[in-house]
Amino acid sequence: MVNMNQEAILSVRDLNIKFTLRGQVLHTIRNVSLDVYKGESIAIVGESGSGKSVLTKSFMGLLDNNGFISSGEILYDGKDLAKYKTEREWQKIRGGEIAMIMQDPMTSLNPLKTIGEQIAEAVRLHQPDVKGKDAVRDKVYSYLKDVGIRKPERRYKQYPHEFSGGMRQRVVIAIALACNPRILICDEPTTALDVTIQAQIMRLLKDLKAKYDLTILFITHDLGVVANIADRVAVMYAGDFVEIGTAEDVFYDPRHPYTWALLSSLPQLGQKGEELFTIKGTPPSLYKVIEGDAFAPRNPRALKIDFLMAPPYFEISETHKAKTWLLDPRAPKLEPPEGIRNLKNLEVLG
Amino acid sequence: MAKYLIKRIGRSLLTLALIICIVFILMRQMPIEGYFQNFDKLTDAQIQAGLKEQGLLDPMPVQLVNFFRNMFHGDFGVSHSYRVNVPVTSILKDKLPVSIKLGSLSILVAMCLGIPLGTLMARYKGKFFDKFGTLFIVFIQAVPAAVYFLFIQMYGTTLLNIPLLFNPNNWRSWVLPVISMSLGNIAYYGMWLRRYMVDESNKDYVNLAKAKGASGNTVMFRHIFRNAFVPMVQYLPSSFLNTVIGSIYVESLYSIPGMGGLLVTVIKDNDNNMVQAIVLLYATVGVIGLLLGDIMMTVLDPRISLGKKEGGR
Repeated sequence: MVNMNQEAILSVRDLNIKFTLRGQVLHTIRNVSLDVYKGESIAIVGESGSGKSVLTKSFMGLLDNNGFISSGEILYDGKDLAKYKTEREWQKIRGGEIAMIMQDPMTSLNPLKTIGEQIAEAVRLHQPDVKGKDAVRDKVYSYLKDVGIRKPERRYKQYPHEFSGGMRQRVVIAIALACNPRILICDEPTTALDVTIQAQIMRLLKDLKAKYDLTILFITHDLGVVANIADRVAVMYAGDFVEIGTAEDVFYDPRHPYTWALLSSLPQLGQKGEELFTIKGTPPSLYKVIEGDAFAPRNPRALKIDFLMAPPYFEISETHKAKTWLLDPRAPKLEPPEGIRNLKNLEVLG
Repeated sequence: MAKYLIKRIGRSLLTLALIICIVFILMRQMPIEGYFQNFDKLTDAQIQAGLKEQGLLDPMPVQLVNFFRNMFHGDFGVSHSYRVNVPVTSILKDKLPVSIKLGSLSILVAMCLGIPLGTLMARYKGKFFDKFGTLFIVFIQAVPAAVYFLFIQMYGTTLLNIPLLFNPNNWRSWVLPVISMSLGNIAYYGMWLRRYMVDESNKDYVNLAKAKGASGNTVMFRHIFRNAFVPMVQYLPSSFLNTVIGSIYVESLYSIPGMGGLLVTVIKDNDNNMVQAIVLLYATVGVIGLLLGDIMMTVLDPRISLGKKEGGR
């Protein structure tokens, strides 16, 4: 499914992002590198506060005012986005090159504008060849139809409060499409929605990806949601990717203890009568310098070296790498927890 | 919408009627001196005759009905002490236009300056302009108006080379009172608009608009300003009312023959007919102001629907 010879559309190199908060410096993204290949869908998975959103926001220059890129590169189309400073520079990227779908559709639409106007705004900004009021409106109709909103003529004139949550998320998706982007960042697109709607939205995104030739970056903390749609999965912990691989690699052959823990906590794996698995403890404070493996303090089976030295990436295959000392030839052989050993046979991810 | 309007206007009229009744009954509890110009010299018999002539010995409900009947004929009786035996309506007819003109001009100036002030402060939040604006607002709000009104009068008149006293036919003598009266509102509009705009700019939809690739100015004006202006609209009519009534100090500084302070004067003098008429006037303006504020909100905010039952607010 993923061809490693594919060209990277977006390349993150040794990126560090810091925030200043009440006089202290928060090191949120720690030396992250990632290649996003053209046409793939990649999921960034991690718990709250692991830096998923911050990382993707930095691709669009949407970091909060107290956040900044302290070093590293974000290469897109031969340009280094990490060097972008002014709004004017970013406007060339935002929408037209990289578009974003946000988490909460209830608040991400302007309550005082009709949804038609809001989509039309994107069309006018990014599709200068669509000229004239009627042409823009017809274009908006076609996007509304694409995202599965019926009777676009009537819906065009309606306000966000006249839509349900799932419908609003479709509108948000239509806005993103109207920008005509190459990369679509979906920041927990289904977290605020009903479970039944989640599947619909994910299917819709999958269809649109093919139709509009998009590269999609999913951010989620729910592995189950991405299992179906992601080609590759990158697991983030405390501002760093601990394991990156194809969906098969990560789901069927996970190597990092944190990935194990994440997979074990899928509620679908719970056995009747047993309590659901939880990961003990909390993520490390990003105010302090993290020594060794960031996950070690929460890992009951951590090795001694995990507390002393940060592990490098070990390549498991051409597509799969993980940052854990367990992959070092000298490490004891630890098997992943029993529950997740034969995910392949379980239909839980379907 | 039409149905709502009719209902709403009916309710406003009811409010006004209640205000009239309450004020009327209260006024009847006041000493009777106010109905005569030379009360001390009159004998008891003369007083009784005078009261009877003015219909004040009738039972209360009859008096009230009479008052309403006269009111619909535009008759509020005569002033007893403010300007003896001059009909109340003709006194107000002279004074009201001056105050309204002054109030409207100052509101206009306040909007033209206060709205840009708030917008720019929000746009450059934390920067020089914001700090400068905050300084101005704090100054206006913290320093008693009397202080800077006097300064404006002292230096302004010299600067414009005009006499201290107001002359309605010279446009230059309008300038200083209008500026003085607008200062408070400029600060008020600026403060609230900035606040609402900052609130709005932290919302998700603003992020989405930015993520769309809209320019900073587009986001600022087409999204943030428009949305922040909705709650502002509600204040506009009532701030107009307050400006017209509240011009007491400015009007006395420049000896402007307006409404400012008139209510206080006639209450002090027990000029009951005048009190009744002025209270009714202010109450009407107030009720209309509220109504207008609500209607303007509905026009601007599609989420507020007045017509439907479920759109309860």
